[in-house]
Amino acid sequence: MKLPPITKTYGSRGVLDLPALELEDGVIHAVIGANGSGKSTLARILAGVLVPDGGAVPRTGRVGYMPQRSYPFRMSVLRNLRLTGAGRDRAMAQLEAFGLAGLARQNAKGLSGGEAARLALARLLMEEYSLLILDEPTAAMDVAATLLAEELLLQYQARTGCTVILVTHSLTQARRLAGQVLFLRDGHLAERGEAGELLRHPRCAETRAFLDFYAL
Amino acid sequence: MALASSVIALAAGVPLGVLLGSYSGRSKRALVVINRTLMGLPPVVVGLVCYMLFSGVGPLRHLRLLYTVTGMVIAQVILLIPLITGSLEAHVSTVAPDIRETALGLGLSRTRILLLLLNESQYQLVSAYLLGLGRAFAEVGAVSMVGGAIAYKTNVMTTAIMNYTNMGAFTTALALGIILLAISLVLNAGVALLHWRLER
Ligand SMILES: Nc1ncnc2c1ncn2[C@@H]1O[C@H](COP(=O)(O)OP(=O)(O)O)[C@@H](O)[C@H]1O
Ligand SMILES: [Mg+2]
Repeated sequence: MKLPPITKTYGSRGVLDLPALELEDGVIHAVIGANGSGKSTLARILAGVLVPDGGAVPRTGRVGYMPQRSYPFRMSVLRNLRLTGAGRDRAMAQLEAFGLAGLARQNAKGLSGGEAARLALARLLMEEYSLLILDEPTAAMDVAATLLAEELLLQYQARTGCTVILVTHSLTQARRLAGQVLFLRDGHLAERGEAGELLRHPRCAETRAFLDFYAL
Repeated sequence: MALASSVIALAAGVPLGVLLGSYSGRSKRALVVINRTLMGLPPVVVGLVCYMLFSGVGPLRHLRLLYTVTGMVIAQVILLIPLITGSLEAHVSTVAPDIRETALGLGLSRTRILLLLLNESQYQLVSAYLLGLGRAFAEVGAVSMVGGAIAYKTNVMTTAIMNYTNMGAFTTALALGIILLAISLVLNAGVALLHWRLER
């Protein structure tokens, strides 16, 4: 999947300036970088909810997107999962898999941060997409929930063969899940490459500094 | 009559409020400012405009609305719509960006997004309605000018209080005032109870 060059400026301030990129079909691409490096901006542009300077990026196939602040709608957890039209049994099975079955009848507004994040992922993964964009899906989850979510994401990806953009703060998560890594710095693509290689032997000094910092 | 005005104003004000709240175009700020200005419309000004439209020389004179309940309801609806629109707009504006982004990410349609916004505004809906109803009960300027306070026809509590006061019947006026206050208390207690139940 080919992406055109993408730039985004707010007023006179450029927050994203990327060259044309190619995403590998059926591969999980981790997007890493410091706060404010433009990860969410990139995710929102690819999802089609934010228009970059040069006009919207053409979408190929169905795109699923989980924003950094995914919203638990004011209705039962079960009904949240059925918003896209799924039947009751399939929704219950999904809640079961995500460890949320006990909360099915509860109003989603009352969920904790980690539960709401699990709900958001479970709700999104009810449908099949050709491109799946997740913006820090596990940031609010505890270790057990994170590992469960990662496992379910891998299963989903294997089943559907979709291409994934995974914005994450966690280098260990990138290492566990991703085939490709894109490293952003101040809105620029500092480095990209095969995950194992890039995370072990970064070529770029900025990536190295970032990795060293998190390795502490 | 206050019931009719508030229901009609709700039916018009809620869609306007949701649309305005979810709208993020250039002219949004201007529209919000205009609506806030209309929220502060003095009832007598609305009364005056309606009076001029409906009166013997006004453009709408053939509708024969002056000194009728229908005319009073129209004046109150004009007064209440901005109030209800503004109350919903304020809430929808705060939740709309996150809801819109989440719903678009799930591939939901624009209509579904508006319905979701409405669903998130249940509490604001009720409190906006009661706000409108309270205003409809309490205001005197518009109804007295358009209705004329004709006994057994267009006389309402507030205009009656004015009449009794002018006649020097302070006890009766005060009694009516206390009844109005009691109505307001019941309405507000209702809102508080509802809020408490929705919060749980
Ligand atoms: N609506 C906006 N207006 C102005 N600046 C914004 C807006 N949204 C994001 N930014 C800026 O763009 C930069 C990148 O933000 P973001 O993509 O959210 O970073 P990240 O997700 O990598 O932490 C930040 O410096 C942020 O302040
Ligand atoms: Mg972000």
